Amino acid sequence: SSVSQMPVAEGKSVQQTVELLTRKLEMLGAEKQGTFCVDCETYHTAASTLGSQGQAGKLMYVMHDSEYPLSCFALFENGPCLIADTNFDVLMVKLKGFFQSAKASKIETRGTRYQYCDFLVKVGTVTMGTSARGISVEVEYGPCVVASDCWSLLLEFLQNFLGSHTPGAPTVFGNRHDAVYGPADTMVQYMELFNKIRKQQQVPVAGIR
Amino acid sequence: MADVLSVGVNLEAFAQAISAIQALRSSVSRVFDCLKDGMQNKETLEGREKAFIAHFQDNLHSVNRDLNELERLSNLVGKPSENHPLHNSGLLSLDPVQDKTPLYSQLLQAYKWSNKLQYHAGLASGLLNQQSLKRSANQMGVSAKRRPKAQPTTLVLPPQYVDDVISRIDRMFPEMSIHLSRPNGTSAMLLVTLGKVLKVIVVMRSLFIDRTIVKGYNENVYTEDGKLDIWSKSNYQVFQKVTDHATTALLHYQLPQMPDVVVRSFMTWLRSYIKLFQAPCQRCGKFLQDGLPPTWRDFRTLEAFHDTCRQ
Repeated sequence: SSVSQMPVAEGKSVQQTVELLTRKLEMLGAEKQGTFCVDCETYHTAASTLGSQGQAGKLMYVMHDSEYPLSCFALFENGPCLIADTNFDVLMVKLKGFFQSAKASKIETRGTRYQYCDFLVKVGTVTMGTSARGISVEVEYGPCVVASDCWSLLLEFLQNFLGSHTPGAPTVFGNRHDAVYGPADTMVQYMELFNKIRKQQQVPVAGIR
Repeated sequence: MADVLSVGVNLEAFAQAISAIQALRSSVSRVFDCLKDGMQNKETLEGREKAFIAHFQDNLHSVNRDLNELERLSNLVGKPSENHPLHNSGLLSLDPVQDKTPLYSQLLQAYKWSNKLQYHAGLASGLLNQQSLKRSANQMGVSAKRRPKAQPTTLVLPPQYVDDVISRIDRMFPEMSIHLSRPNGTSAMLLVTLGKVLKVIVVMRSLFIDRTIVKGYNENVYTEDGKLDIWSKSNYQVFQKVTDHATTALLHYQLPQMPDVVVRSFMTWLRSYIKLFQAPCQRCGKFLQDGLPPTWRDFRTLEAFHDTCRQ
């Protein structure tokens, strides 16, 4: 599957752009199939464990995906991805001495799932705290397990309803040639998308209309 | 002209015959009336009987007379429709309002057409019987019942030979792995894994392929008790479509005398699905049509086409 960001249409709100997208999907013949939610919380390595080796504090992301309701994903940027049971959240509380949750770091995307043939499309609104920050579009093609095999096919599908905003191939696609795609690969894409959206917030946008 | 005249004469005879029938009916009912009323009151018993018998006789005579009249008339009417090739339906040609109800001409057309159809079907069946395309004794139908022992020798190949053929095919294609098992007696079942694209369950009978099911690489092909699941279909529309095409291919690749060649051709064709998600349609140049990739592979050239793009 491919996760990408859809820029907010000019002169429209996030909500209006999402509606525009979902209407396009419905016109294409996609059927609504419930909702989805992906959330992500950031943890710092605690200051007390640093220093001795002089290593920089690493960020760890703990994520949940409604598609895998019994799992919890823990990722480092460019690092390994751990897939654990949902009790992992409780464990994180106990590991307070090593990992501390960053304040107000929770970011999530919520929206509707759409099924079109063997495609699963999830259009979500990315929110931080209470404000909507952007739009996420995930397209999954279930029958194919090797991501690079079906990229051209996915691209054609994406072009159908994203038009000129079609994204480039996600980096995870190229990383491991002909490896079987897994849920962790989707999580990495969401993490990258969330980080991109966070950075957009830090830099004040010049000339707000 | 003569036809019209004779029809006119017949019509008159018809009218007469109908009134004769009416007369006959009334005379018959008079007989029963007389019987119902029984003997009328007369002074003596003898007188009563005499009067009744005379009355009864009169009635029977009139019945006889009317019947004779009807028989005479019925000869006049004749049997005009009997000689017509279409029997009673030929009478439709007498309908004067041809323009409004062209039933008769339509009927003739249909008759000619069905005659021709029967003729051609006869020819076709003769020709088809010369070609032995039958895959197994079961499909021989009625004729098989008469000679039940005539089982093709290709159906009783030793399992060792089947194993050899399959393992040779397995070695032929490196990206295709074939796992052979015999869960139910001598019939072999194959689990073919093609790259990381799809899995195919092939049910064999000797060296004939009886059934194939195509599923996704990440789909479960076993039932809960660990046997190959030969009944359930794939959850993905792509593979359901490919299953349909594979079944078509089974019927296409036929060579009853050399079953091993058939299996090899089928596997060669199946192997072209290694690019199921990577090959655009050779006709429209696109990947997707109605949400499906090109699922059809040409039997000869092995080129990829959408189901609706193939010729």
